Amino acid sequence: MPQLKSLDELRALRQQLQRDVQARTAAATTITVGMGTCGIAAGAREVMSALLDDLAARGINAHVTTVGCIGMCSKEPLVDVKRGDDPKITYGNVNPTMVPRILDEHVADGRVVEDWVVARVAA
Amino acid sequence: MITLTIDGQKIQAEDDQTILEVCRKNSIYIPTLCSHPVLEPYGACRLCTVEVVRRGWSSLQAACTHPAWDGLEVKTYSDPVMEARKVVMGLLLSRAPNVPVIKQLAAEYGVAEPPFAVTDPNEKCILCGLCVRVCNDMVKAHVLNFSQHGVDRVVGPPFMEKTRECIGCGACTIVCPTGAIEIVLEQQGIYAEKPLGPTSAIYVPFLQAVPRVPVIDTDSCIRFRQHDRSNGDIADACGACQMLCEAKAIDFTQEDEVVELNVGAIVVATGFQMWDTTKLSQYSYGKSPNIITALEFERLSNASGPTGGQIVTADGVKPERVAIIHCVGSRDKNAHEYCSRICCMYSLKQAHLVRDKTNAEVYEFYMDMRAFGKGYEEFYERVQEEGVTMVRGRGAEVQVLPSGKLRVTGEDANLGKLVAADVDMVVLSSAIESPADASKVGSLFGLSRTPDGWFAEAHPKLKPVETNTDGVFLAGCAQGPKDVPDTVAHAGAAASQALALLSRGEVTISPQVAIVDEKLCSACKTCLTVCPYTAISYIIEDNVARVNEALCKGCGTCVATCPAGAITGQHFTDEQIYAQIEGLFRLPERVPA
Amino acid sequence: MADQYRADLLVSCLHDRPPELLAALDAELAHRGLDKEIRVVKAGCRGWCAQGPVLHVQPDDTFYVGVQPADVPELVEETLVKGRVVERLTFRDPATRKRVHRYADIPSHRKQLRIALRNCGLVNPESIEEYIALGGYEALAKALSSMTPEQVIAEVKKSGLRGRGGAGFPTGRKWESARHAEGEIKYVLANGDEGDPNCFMDRALMEGDPFSIVEGMTIGAYAIGAHQGYIYLPFEYTLAARSLQAALRRARDFGLLGQDILGSGFDFNITLRLGARSFVGGESTAIMHAIEGKPSEPRAKHVHTTDKGLWERPTCLNNVKSWAIIPEIIVKGGDWFAEIGTERSKGTQVFSLAGKINVTGLVEVPMGTTIRQLVFDVGGGLPKKRYFKAIQIGGPSGGVLPAGLLDTPMDYETLAEAGSMMGTGGVVVMDDRTCVVDVARYFLDFLRDESCGKCSTCREGIRRMLDIMTGITKGQGSLADLDQLEQLAKVVQGVSLCGLGKTAANPVLSTLRYFRDEYETHIREGLCPAGVCRSLSRFHILETCSGCGLCVKACPEDAIIGEKKQAHMIDQDKCLRCGACREACNLDKIEIVSPQAIAMMPKPAVVAVKPAAAGRGR
Repeated sequence: MPQLKSLDELRALRQQLQRDVQARTAAATTITVGMGTCGIAAGAREVMSALLDDLAARGINAHVTTVGCIGMCSKEPLVDVKRGDDPKITYGNVNPTMVPRILDEHVADGRVVEDWVVARVAA
Repeated sequence: MITLTIDGQKIQAEDDQTILEVCRKNSIYIPTLCSHPVLEPYGACRLCTVEVVRRGWSSLQAACTHPAWDGLEVKTYSDPVMEARKVVMGLLLSRAPNVPVIKQLAAEYGVAEPPFAVTDPNEKCILCGLCVRVCNDMVKAHVLNFSQHGVDRVVGPPFMEKTRECIGCGACTIVCPTGAIEIVLEQQGIYAEKPLGPTSAIYVPFLQAVPRVPVIDTDSCIRFRQHDRSNGDIADACGACQMLCEAKAIDFTQEDEVVELNVGAIVVATGFQMWDTTKLSQYSYGKSPNIITALEFERLSNASGPTGGQIVTADGVKPERVAIIHCVGSRDKNAHEYCSRICCMYSLKQAHLVRDKTNAEVYEFYMDMRAFGKGYEEFYERVQEEGVTMVRGRGAEVQVLPSGKLRVTGEDANLGKLVAADVDMVVLSSAIESPADASKVGSLFGLSRTPDGWFAEAHPKLKPVETNTDGVFLAGCAQGPKDVPDTVAHAGAAASQALALLSRGEVTISPQVAIVDEKLCSACKTCLTVCPYTAISYIIEDNVARVNEALCKGCGTCVATCPAGAITGQHFTDEQIYAQIEGLFRLPERVPA
Repeated sequence: MADQYRADLLVSCLHDRPPELLAALDAELAHRGLDKEIRVVKAGCRGWCAQGPVLHVQPDDTFYVGVQPADVPELVEETLVKGRVVERLTFRDPATRKRVHRYADIPSHRKQLRIALRNCGLVNPESIEEYIALGGYEALAKALSSMTPEQVIAEVKKSGLRGRGGAGFPTGRKWESARHAEGEIKYVLANGDEGDPNCFMDRALMEGDPFSIVEGMTIGAYAIGAHQGYIYLPFEYTLAARSLQAALRRARDFGLLGQDILGSGFDFNITLRLGARSFVGGESTAIMHAIEGKPSEPRAKHVHTTDKGLWERPTCLNNVKSWAIIPEIIVKGGDWFAEIGTERSKGTQVFSLAGKINVTGLVEVPMGTTIRQLVFDVGGGLPKKRYFKAIQIGGPSGGVLPAGLLDTPMDYETLAEAGSMMGTGGVVVMDDRTCVVDVARYFLDFLRDESCGKCSTCREGIRRMLDIMTGITKGQGSLADLDQLEQLAKVVQGVSLCGLGKTAANPVLSTLRYFRDEYETHIREGLCPAGVCRSLSRFHILETCSGCGLCVKACPEDAIIGEKKQAHMIDQDKCLRCGACREACNLDKIEIVSPQAIAMMPKPAVVAVKPAAAGRGR
């Protein structure tokens, strides 16, 4: 039990704890994983796990939600990234190894990984 | 000091007071029900509502709790105030419609009938909380409190059950404004209904007392009782008298003082006590409240007594027939054989008073009429002329009839028959006797008693005030029954004898006194116990016994008793006695012719 | 820290319900291997009582109502795995009849501005970590490290916050008096003893966001110089007590309560005190007496409790809602708070909506919101599109206001002028089938039971007013009774010792002011137009009845006779006056008439008609 002894200690603790409630606070980025039957069959579960682990490791603040089948079943697992006001980017055929790069380049830095984009919705 | 305006009048008052306190001090009338000068204000009845104007805002407030602030404007009888009080009284009257003080207050505000439906016409309690406050804050017995709430609120002991914590002080009945609390004696004892005692623990013993100041009966005073009950834990219960005394004259810490005085003369005037009339059960004393002793009658007929001097029976009505019985306990082998001397005359006086105040028929049952003094016989005649029936014969028995009347049976010796009278009140002229602690007083002063119990005078005819102990005199009934004129004469004689003794400065005493040889005395103190005149004292510093020559009468008891032979009777030494004996037995010498 | 959860399920309304819902959620998530990704949070009350248990999925903001254990598998599959909304579990907006998926889209929520209730239902009330993470204790830290007590008081004064317990006394002024009062030892008190019959905002706050109260009290104690605080709540609020106890414990663990808080050298401790709940027990001096161990009855407050309160020491008592608002004021500034609301009543007010209204529960809106906005925009209007007749604001101490005042902006002053009061925010909406005389009688009945009985005007006066009101509802009233009622009401109001008595007359006086004609109809015509007072109402089917038979099915006594498609009639001898037929009738063909009137109408022919299928009412 840390006994807080100053405003700075409180603020540091808050920083640490914010990750815990990040589901309830506003986040700049929302990542959506397709979890329809097609998605799950294609391995969306593993992508989800990798996503969560890597996000935690990098300390990135982003919302992760699921969605059902969008229709592009052949490209599953599909991962949407909506960063702030930027257009929503859909990555297709995502596997767990691709996750780090999407996070580092697009989510953290704002650079879309063009090679993997299958759809783009204007802001 | 602050200033406020009450009913347009500027009033100065001390700080920290309520509006009610200021009004009371300035004789401004505000009706109250739940307020009491020695208890904390509670604000329950709302009758003391007044209009208060402060900074332009007018509101109705309870005067008993609202502080008197500087610059306040108070109106005690404006229209809103009167209307409020009228409604309050209407509500209280509907709650307790048959309580006199509520009816009277309601009438003052124009409410003659309860304006709302009455649920319990016998309800008396208005939940003012005075009993709760007095029991908790003053008496500190913590017996009474409120329970339930709202319209179901009631006052009582915990769970409304009788509790031993109640000390029966009666404070709650005294403060209750509506008479809703009664004290009920658990044992309906014989004397339960006799209203002949003081009603509060602090009281002036009687109006003729000198000095005429109150005393506190520590047996019934709440403060002392609570202190004793709680072994000192509750040390400051009540104290209402001290709070109210403006002269600050009450001091609870006063103790009995023991004062040592060296005196040359002592006058014993310990008086008499009434003989216990229950000892002769045929008079039924104690079985009816209307059978009273003569002393109780004196109290009854006294203007400062419980009935204000009216002669009434226990029911409060004038008796139609009264019997007075002489010689109850006097001239009686079963009680006292002597004549109490004073009863015949006072009985005549009491008969006279009864006739005068009530016009009742009076029957005097007497054996002999002892009207021995100046004007006494004439008074006896007069009383007979007033229509008092004199029955010459001892009243033998008093019976309490089922109807409550009393039947006195006796012999009328003049008629030679048994007679009976059914009367409403019987006055027993009980004997007087020497006080219960006479033997203690006697041994203190070395006084002996005559067979009738009174202290013995030195000579029945010639020395009525002296005793066998020099310097100790008797005055009044201590020596024997006597009435007021005789007591005055007797006491005067004792006083002058005492003064004569003291004014002599020196006294001549007989030289035949005992003397202790202090070299032989072993301080066994045997002589102290046998001296009838308490003339020998033990001197601690010298560890010897020593004889007070002024007190010693030369009886010689100590001389005979001393185991060491250390005491000699002066002029009665062994040698002197042997010489006297030898002188007696010496043959006379033949003297030549 | 904990694993990274991608979603939080905020579940509310679990207290005193069977624990199956949570167990089902945990089991299903574990079964699907989602328990490391999705967290179930036992959140506190957010005031959706009529719709509970509610479940809020964050970050999706999907909101479900009335969730049962049987719904859990589908919910997890569709929403948490596939990201799809389960329509049947969503909230149907009563005004539009459409389903709303996201919480932020719920119209009544959109119109609210939740300050006091900001965290309720959105956090695990026992978790100090969540509270801190969401910004909690920033206010206390700011106050202790960079503000003097006087500055704190100045900020509160600037905000214009007025006590949310009902009296609306300026909080900043109260703190200032307490600060300047003589004495070394001072206390802060939180009043959680709400007694109004339809109010539970204090409960929701204590259950759902106890840390905000604790933090607020700590700031207040710092401002006035107190080192001991008490929170007084009814012992029936078991969950609230539990949440508060947990909060106190956690705050102590983290050095945010107790000695040397946040290393500032300031000591402060809080103790809970549970009392037997009663309406009058929530009065400030009654609470202080209760804490002192005496019966909880009020005393006259000529000497303010800020000078002599608990144990004759300076005491600052505020409602729990006021304490909960304080941290926001300190963090965001008094000016921010003062921007919200009206000229003299700043900030927001929590209302508990009850009665004939679609959205029952707790809402929080800015001061100055009109009654119309509260009832129709936030409250979703009256069910079954009935007509708005009257509204009672402020609980039993408040007054009843008519439709003519719907556009009154609500704040302390306007409501008092209208004859009502803000109170603690209890609101009862009434339609044309509510009898205001009966409503006034109902509240008087409540007050009669709740009176402590100390002062004669309240104890006896309320009882007598109730007798008169009951008489009127039974047809035994006279016009002279109305005068007596008014006189009695004025004296009870002016002369009683405490707030209960002083405001007890409000229901009577306000209904007499705005609905006198309804009283007179009861008295003169022997008729209760709303059909509530059974002695004064008789149900009569109009001749234009279409004979659909809905009422026949509804009647529990089989008192309605008639052939299909022909006007029906009610057998008055069997009729209980329960009103079920009127509720069932969609065409409004059943009217209320007085007993005298019905006596003059033709009776239904006693023919051996086969009654329709047994009444549903059985």
